[in-house]
Order: sequence, then C-alpha cells, then structure tokens
Amino acid sequence: MKKLKKEKLTELWSLLAERTSLYLPVDEGGSVNFLPWEKGMEVDLDALNSTIPPKSIFFQQTEVYLQYTTEEDGLKFEEITPQGPAVLFGVRPCDLKGIQLLDNVFLQEPEDSLYKQRRLETTIVALTCTKPDSSCFCTLFDIDPGAAPGADLLATDLGEEFVFTAQSEKGESLLEAIATLLEDAEADSKAVEEVRRQAKAAVPTHGLDVEGLKEKLDSMFDDPIWGTFYRRCLGCGTCTYLCPTCHCFDIQDHTRGEEGLRFRCWDSCMFGEFTLMASGHNPRPTQKERVRNRFLHKLNYYPKNFESYACVGCGRCVRKCPVNLDMIEVIKALGGVTSGSC
Amino acid sequence: MKPTVDKLKEIAAETLVGKKAELILGWQKGSFWWQSFPAFIEKQEELDSLTWDPFCVANLSIYLLEELKRKKKVALFVKGCDALAINRLLQDKCIEREQVLLYGLPCKGMADRAKIEAAVGEELSIREVRRDGDEFIVLTDNGEQHLDASNYLLDKCLSCRYPNPIVYDQLLAQEIDTFPVKERFQSVVKLENSTFEERYLYWSGHFNRCLRCFACRNVCPACNCRECIFDQNEPRWLGKANILSENQFCHLIRAYHVAGRCIDCGECQRVCPMDIPLQELNRKLIKDLNELYGDYDAGTDPEEPQPLGTFKLDDPASFSES
Repeated sequence: MKKLKKEKLTELWSLLAERTSLYLPVDEGGSVNFLPWEKGMEVDLDALNSTIPPKSIFFQQTEVYLQYTTEEDGLKFEEITPQGPAVLFGVRPCDLKGIQLLDNVFLQEPEDSLYKQRRLETTIVALTCTKPDSSCFCTLFDIDPGAAPGADLLATDLGEEFVFTAQSEKGESLLEAIATLLEDAEADSKAVEEVRRQAKAAVPTHGLDVEGLKEKLDSMFDDPIWGTFYRRCLGCGTCTYLCPTCHCFDIQDHTRGEEGLRFRCWDSCMFGEFTLMASGHNPRPTQKERVRNRFLHKLNYYPKNFESYACVGCGRCVRKCPVNLDMIEVIKALGGVTSGSC
Repeated sequence: MKPTVDKLKEIAAETLVGKKAELILGWQKGSFWWQSFPAFIEKQEELDSLTWDPFCVANLSIYLLEELKRKKKVALFVKGCDALAINRLLQDKCIEREQVLLYGLPCKGMADRAKIEAAVGEELSIREVRRDGDEFIVLTDNGEQHLDASNYLLDKCLSCRYPNPIVYDQLLAQEIDTFPVKERFQSVVKLENSTFEERYLYWSGHFNRCLRCFACRNVCPACNCRECIFDQNEPRWLGKANILSENQFCHLIRAYHVAGRCIDCGECQRVCPMDIPLQELNRKLIKDLNELYGDYDAGTDPEEPQPLGTFKLDDPASFSES
C-alpha cells in the first residue's frame, strides 16, 4: 500500500498525462464527467457518480471506425483504430461493475475489437466511496462501495490523502511510474479498512430484496403491471444513456459526395425507432413494450445469459428520470421488497 | 386557503362516482420525499395514492395526447403553468375543450430538492417536505426545520408570471396574489450584450454536453407533432452522431419549431439531465418576437392570432425587397 498527499494531485495528473491519455472526473459547469485531462481543468474527486457513467470511455457514444472514399477503381476503405493507452482515474465501485457487465457482452465471441483494445490498454483506478447518496443501492446487487475487485488500482480517500492498493500488474506498474510522489502506507491499513467498512454500512437498503426476482419475472411478461408503469414514461433516453450497464448501439453511415464515415452510436430501447424494421413493422409498437423490455433486460434477460442482474444500484435513473420511473420504484412494484420503505 | 390533498381526493372521488371523466391525472408519491410523479387514476381504490405537495412539478397535460386516443374525457389537475399548456394544446387543435375537465390549483412554486438538501445538510435523514404559507417545513429524523420557501424554489418558478391557472372548470382554492418575480429576460439580455465569440463558446459548450435523450422535446407541450422531424429516417434530417454540429442543429431547429408557441414553462430545462439552459434559448425567441410583432404571451388566449401563425394583407414588411 502506498499513499499520496492530496496537495500532490496536480503533480500526479501532470506526471500521468505525460505518458498516457488521462481521464478524470471534471466539472464542466454543474455536470461532472470523465474527460481527457488538460491543465487548468477542475477535477472533482468528491462527486459521487459522474453524470455520464465511465462506460463512455470504452463504449463511446459516437465512434467512427471506418472511412471510405469512392475512387475510379472502386471504394477504398480505411479502418480507424482507437487511440493508445489511457489511465481512467476515479471510477466508483458500482461503475466498475457496470464496465465488467459490459465486458460480458462485448468480450464474448464475436469479440468487439474496438471495445477490447480500449479495455486492454486502459488502467482503471477505482475510488472507494466515502459518503453514499440516499439514492444509492449498490449493496442490493452485492457490490461493496469499499472495494472494487477487478480494478487495476484501488484508491481510498482518507481525507488528506489517497491510499493506493495495486490489484493487477497494470496497477503495480502504474504505482512504480508515480513512485516519486508516494509514501509508504502500511501503517494506514486499519484506517483504510474503517473507511471502506463505513461506506458499506452507509448505503441505504430501501427495504429492497431481489432474491428470486429473476425467476418471478419469467412468468410476468404479460402481467398487467407493465400497462401501468409505461403511462407516465416520457419516452426519452435519459435512463438508458445514463445507465452504466446499457449497451445498445446503432450503426450509421455519413456520406457526403465521394467520401463517408461509418460510425456506431448509442441507441435507446426507449425510442420508437429502436425496433422499427425496414418493412414498417415494429415489434415494440408502444411505450408499454419498450418500458417492459428495459426492465426485463436488466432483471431477467441479462441475468439468464450472464448470471448477474444488469443493475449496479448507482442511482442515476433514480436521480435523473423526469417522472421517477426508476429501478427502485419498479423493483418495489414488482414485489422485490422485504420490509419498510426508503 | 390553500388546496389540500383531501380536497384533491374529494374532487377526484366525485369525478369517478359521477362518471364525469374516465381517467384522472394527478400526482402520487414515490419512494423518496422529493418524488411526486404523474398518477393515472381510474378506480376508486386508487384515489388514496393522490398527493399534492411541493414536488408536484410534472405537467400532466402532455399525457392528454396519448390518453385521449383511448378516452373520451379526462380530468386533470392544472397549476398555472400547466393551464398555459392546456391552451397550447387547444390552440394547436390537439385536444378539444369538452374532452378535458380541469381542476385548477393556484401554486406558489415547487421546491428544489438540491437547494433544500444543501440547506438542511443531512440529506439521508429528510423524511418529508411540506408547504405551510410562505415556509417549507422539512421533517428530518432530528426534528423540524422551517425554511423561507422563496429561497428554495425551482429556478423556473422564480420567474413564474401565472401562479393562478388561466383556464379551468373548477378552482380548488382561492386565487393567490401574484408575487414579485425575477425578470425573465435578464440572462438573455446578458447574452445579447456579449460578443459573437462569447456567445458561440457559451452555447457550443452547452450543446457539446447534450446527450440527445430528447427529454426536452418529450416533455414540451408545444412539441406535439404526430411525427417529429428528429424521428424521421427517410430522409434522416438529424444525424444520429452525437457531435456538436448535429446537436446544434437539433436544438436550434427545436427552438424555431416552438417559436411563438413556447409557453415558457421551463420544463425543457428542468428535465435536462445535462443542465443545458434551454429556457434561455426559447426566451431569446420570445423576446425577439415581442420586439418585432408586439407583446405576445403564448398560452394565455387560444383564440388570439399567433405572431408566426397569421398574416396581414397590409403587412408593412413584405416578402419581397421591392
């Protein structure tokens, strides 16, 4: 274990940015998001969750991957590959789990080469939580806000300093690269454990219980409950775009004259066009089918494929859905409740 | 006298029993003290879920577009801003007046969760926030706190000019006195006085953040097209790439499509997950229209000709230069 005094953070950013792309949670005017760091940016490591989850570093909202031109002897293609190595600093445990749930999808056969390259070349520094929000519910999905298994490096905020624990070879080599800024922290292990323990205890349970919910939903496809949820849904894409586990995309061409680009971009099952087929038929013709799909995907379809619910309890949908059609409301209404209320 | 939850429940019960409407649109509490979301009441046993508290901000009128496809008559509660939206839908011929039963609720403004949390500082322990006169009473695990409500309103309510519904069938409480509000064009004037480069930086910074979730469009009572230009894919007017040029196109086109019809309710800005100041954009167009064609308040009178929806044969500004 090593530690870094907070007053040395700017030095750390400069040191890291010299050797690699560095993504940090940056305040861009009320909204904190992971951006490539440049000198002078306002880094906010106290913000609990970035507005847009860090999945966007690996699975970009818009990603051009092919350029083409029409020439006399036919179409010429040029592949565009992702930029080189990066360090992603400050990922919360729930968001790290979100990335791991995306791994299940993008790294299974056929592998998504764009996603894979970014994932392999990026060193993730996870940051344990110190003060969970009232709308957090990560522990419902067995996520520990004081731990981040799978992160290359784990950082814990002790107030005046960050304590780092390497959890992979990438993490160890990152610690070596910044060794001049670090001090030994073996003596702080008890304090670190206490901070992590407190974080876990501070996550509200909301009286929720998802034990058996996946199985219960097997027979709820035609349940009248879907006919009540959707009525207030505005059909916007806020929940899906801010969700750390949503991963649907579309592929589009942008052609102008003899040149063009092929890109993929996020898509949302909340939009009518999402399942609209070329014939004009739409198997999810109304918002009812779309809302049902979103929640069944998280709580039934994905768990059947990958043995894990596709929700990490980050609370973004709770905080941002304009009509509160969020995961806590829906799990409660579906009967995933043991006792009490929020 | 302020409208009470009991009054809302009583009138809703009368509506259902008397078969005055098939559906009642109101609000119900969510899991958190700051959540009051749209409720769709069709049965007596659902009446008890109705609420009326400082978080009933959602404008229920936008649901009429969908619900009136299946229902002959819908009753709904309307605040001042919501009533302007009803007039918007009437004037745009989206609904007929006989299809709706309007219960008016004078409103002194809705509460801002973040402002209250910042003041109370113990967000995990807030249980309930209710209004009493000019105060918000915050119930926490550690007792009650009294806040001067005017400091904890949603930003959009700070410039509210119509606290009393302008159209209704029955008003559920006495009209309230209008209160002093923030001048609504302040930030527009500030932007007008900045340089072109400053304005470009300002708006491109905001539009760069846009997620293209369309919450602004979907919550807007003036965005009532059966098919939005942004959803058309043959041809695809708006590309799906999230890049500045497409995002600018999206927001400028939307602002122009609602120009002269925007009721300035501020819902677009409230629901934006990326905090883009969309109301400023619409207010710039309202201000320009006022200066060009005389003062006009969209949503106040559905019979009044709209500045961009009418023409005069003796219009002093001709289409041709000659």
